[in-house]
Order: sequence, then C-alpha cells, then structure tokens
Amino acid sequence: MNYTFKWSVLWTGQSGQWLLQGLITTLELSAIAWVLAVVLGILSGALRTVPFRPLRWAATFYVEFFRNVPLLVWMFFWYFGVTPLLPRGAQDWLFNHGLEFWAGTIALGVYHGARMSEVIRSGISAIPRTQFEASLAMGLTTLQAYRLVILPVALRLIVPPGTSESLNLLKNSSVALTISVAELTFQTRQIETYTAKAIEAFTAGTLIYLVLCLSISTIMARVERHYAIPGLISRAQAG
Amino acid sequence: MKRTFALVLVLAVALMATPALAQDTLEKIKSSGTLVIGTRTGSPPFAYVNRDNQWVGFTIDLVEMLVKPEIEKAVGKPIKVEKKESTPPTRIPLLSSNAVDLIAGTMTDTPQRRESVDFSLTFFYTGAQFMVKKGSPIKGVNDIAGKRIASQQGSTNAKILREKYPQAQLREFPDQPAAFQALLQGQVDAYTNDGIQLYGLKAKAPKPDEWDVVGDFYSEEPYGMAMRKGDAKFKAVVDAGLKNGFESGKYFEIYEKWFGPKGELPYPITPQVKAYLLKQIGK
Repeated sequence: MNYTFKWSVLWTGQSGQWLLQGLITTLELSAIAWVLAVVLGILSGALRTVPFRPLRWAATFYVEFFRNVPLLVWMFFWYFGVTPLLPRGAQDWLFNHGLEFWAGTIALGVYHGARMSEVIRSGISAIPRTQFEASLAMGLTTLQAYRLVILPVALRLIVPPGTSESLNLLKNSSVALTISVAELTFQTRQIETYTAKAIEAFTAGTLIYLVLCLSISTIMARVERHYAIPGLISRAQAG
Repeated sequence: MKRTFALVLVLAVALMATPALAQDTLEKIKSSGTLVIGTRTGSPPFAYVNRDNQWVGFTIDLVEMLVKPEIEKAVGKPIKVEKKESTPPTRIPLLSSNAVDLIAGTMTDTPQRRESVDFSLTFFYTGAQFMVKKGSPIKGVNDIAGKRIASQQGSTNAKILREKYPQAQLREFPDQPAAFQALLQGQVDAYTNDGIQLYGLKAKAPKPDEWDVVGDFYSEEPYGMAMRKGDAKFKAVVDAGLKNGFESGKYFEIYEKWFGPKGELPYPITPQVKAYLLKQIGK
C-alpha cells in the first residue's frame, strides 16, 4: 500500500466551506444555463418542424453548428473569443463583474440548447401529423396549434430524454473550470492543492455529483407521473 | 433506494481498493523494461514540446542522463523512458495508481505533498513572481490588492495568494497557455507562477519585449521528483542518480545546456542556489 487515506481532510480546515461554495456555484451555473438551454431548445426544436423553410434552416444551422463543436471549445470561444469584440469599457466592466461565470453559463446554455432542441424535435415528431392538421381544421393558427396542442404533448413525451440531457448539462458545468469558474470540481482540486489528498477530494466530488443527479432523476420521475395524460402516454397506465 | 446505496458502496470500495495494488517500483521497471515518467508539455524549459514537435526539457534530460543510468544499474538491464502528461491536480493520483513511476516536471516539494509522496533531492530552486505587461503598476506582491491575478490551478502560488493576499482577485486556470491568454487579452492584470517558468513563458511569447517579470520571490519553490510513498529502494536509486550528477558536474553541464548563455533560456545559476543544491549532498 503506497497511499495513506486521510478522509478527515474533507471536513477539517476549509474543505467543507469550499465544497459548499463549489456546489452553490455549480447549481447557479447549471440552473441559469438550463433555463437558457430549454428556451433555446424549445424555440429551435419547434422551428425545425414548422412549415416554413427559412425558419427551419435557421434552426438547423443553430443546432448543427453548436452541437458539433466540443463544449470546451465553446468555453474558450465565449471567454477568449467574444470578449475582445466588445467595446473597451464593456470589457473592463465585465472583467470585474464575473465574466468567467457568465461566459461559462452562456457556453453551457447555448451548447445544451442545441442538444435539447433535438430532444424536443423528436418529441414533436412523435406526435401524429394529423393532430396538427386537426388543430388547424378547428380554426387555430399555426402558433396557437403549437402553443396549445403540439408543445404541451411533446414536452410530456420528452421528460425522460430531457432529464438525461439536463443531467448532462449539470455534469458538463465542470468544464467551466477551464475558464476559472470556481465550481464543484474546481473546489475538489483546491482541496487537493491544500492537502495533496486527491483521491479523497475527487471521491467527495463524485459523491456530490451522484447525489445531485439521483435527486434530479427522482424528482423528474415524479414530474413525469404527475403530468402524464392517461391513455396518451403508455407508461401512465402501467404506473 | 437500498440498491442505490449498495451501488455507492461498491463504487467507494472500488475507489479505495485500486491504489492498494502497489508493487515495488524497481521490480515493475525490471519486468516492463520501461520507466514511465509524468511530466509537462507546456513548461519550458523544464518539459515542453519544442518547435520540432519533440518532447524535451531540462527535467527530462535529468531523468534520461542521470536517473535512467542509475536505474539500469539497479535492475541490470537497459530500460526505456516513456513520458506521460501530468498536471498539478493529476500527478499524485497518477503516481498512486501506478500509471507513472516518477513525476519529473516542475513539482514543488512541500510538507503537505510529503504526506502523500516521497521527493527526491531538490534539482531546481525558484520562487513565485509576477508577469505583467511592460509599464504595469504591479511591481510585486504588495501591489496586487484589488487586481485580477491569474495563477495555475493546484499550484503552490495560488495557495499562498489566497491565504496571505486575499485582497487580490484570483483567477485560476488549468494550464499556462490559458492563463497567458487571459493576460494577453486583459482578462487579468498579472499572471503569477514560479519565476523561472515566467521567464520561460516570456522567451516563448510572440513579442517577448512587451512583458516583464517583476517582484521578489514571495514563495520558496524547491523542485523535486516525486515517487510513491515508502518505496525506499527506488528513492535511493533516484537520489543516487542526482547525487552523482551533482558530484561529477554532469548536472551543471545539463544546466548549462538549458539555462546557459546559449541555452533555451539564459538563467545563470546563482551562488546561493548552487550552494543550496550542493548542501544536499553534504558539500
């Protein structure tokens, strides 16, 4: 045995405080990015199915452009690439007001919005075309048909893949440490710096991510059951 | 929920059990014929990928020319040196998991790290300074209050600044290129690292004249090679290699090659540093 475990490093000194701060940053980053991703996802996912070609193209371009480049590159893009394009005054202001956090949030949200878009599009495609046609026949406009019929059903259908995607977003928030965002993984590394006990620190990080993700899965399973439309989604009958 | 708990337990046990499969490092090298070192790719002139795409450097030379022959003598056959990338947060786990046998890069020997790994004799001595744009108001560690300072995640410098100079706004990046990019674009006002690494960075920068390395050393950074803890036989061999180098003068030849007037980075050895290094072998 060449490694002496010292689990106490996790609750002595400032470790607990750091992990808590990291957890809060991870949750803030993920929550804001998630809202952004869902809004962009619903918008572009719906636009990819509308019967108007230029809008479909614009949405397809967004999805293919953003999901086919690694997230790490997007982090650098928003932090190093976009900032110099802003006016000098705006740059200086941002440098002192959490540019790292916001660049990370936008990178994560826009990237996952593109992935979320595919999830939503698959939900919409799963709805028979006749429902859309029936909605129009009842006198709804295209916008109303989407808002009142298509999207409410599609959003229910996509809860399971949507949950997976959301968990991915949460875990991917760790990539923001490359642009100096002090989130959870960053803080576990910090504990390593102070104590040279990497395995203990990384284990703590792993367990926190695991508990977070399991909690979200559990909540989403309840959401799925709660909003299920009896007779429409087969799982509702089984449950 | 019970199942989930069991899963977590299995994971935890697996994590704890892995590093227990240790073996004697010299035996491992003997059977594989390879010494695996963990080193850097972006820390000139200690270990970096040069313009010809070769992975070279001062520390790598020390391993190849001083440590390797000593290991060959100990195991009684020729061996190869294999290099792997290791960064501050990964190097101790890489050692513990047997993925590498020796960390030979720019690792500072600290008391905390000594609880987890063993260090060889010190092979280089430096201290933390700041790199700034020419004409910057930052002249040293006393001017950094309220300023945005980049550092490397997991480095000793970041730790000292956080503890002793909390007024500075610290931005920590995983590697040197990202930190330098942030300095280049103005995201940060200064970048702190071990002085010698800053000189290395400055020399490699597109316009070296635009940058200054400023300030007195605000930390002591003796570099050592790290090994798995408690492997006294292997440590003795590595130390013997370095000691022979100091005694025969071969170390100073290698130093001259990298830090001499014609070297990659001219950085003459000071009498104090030379005395410090020789004191380790009782001279």
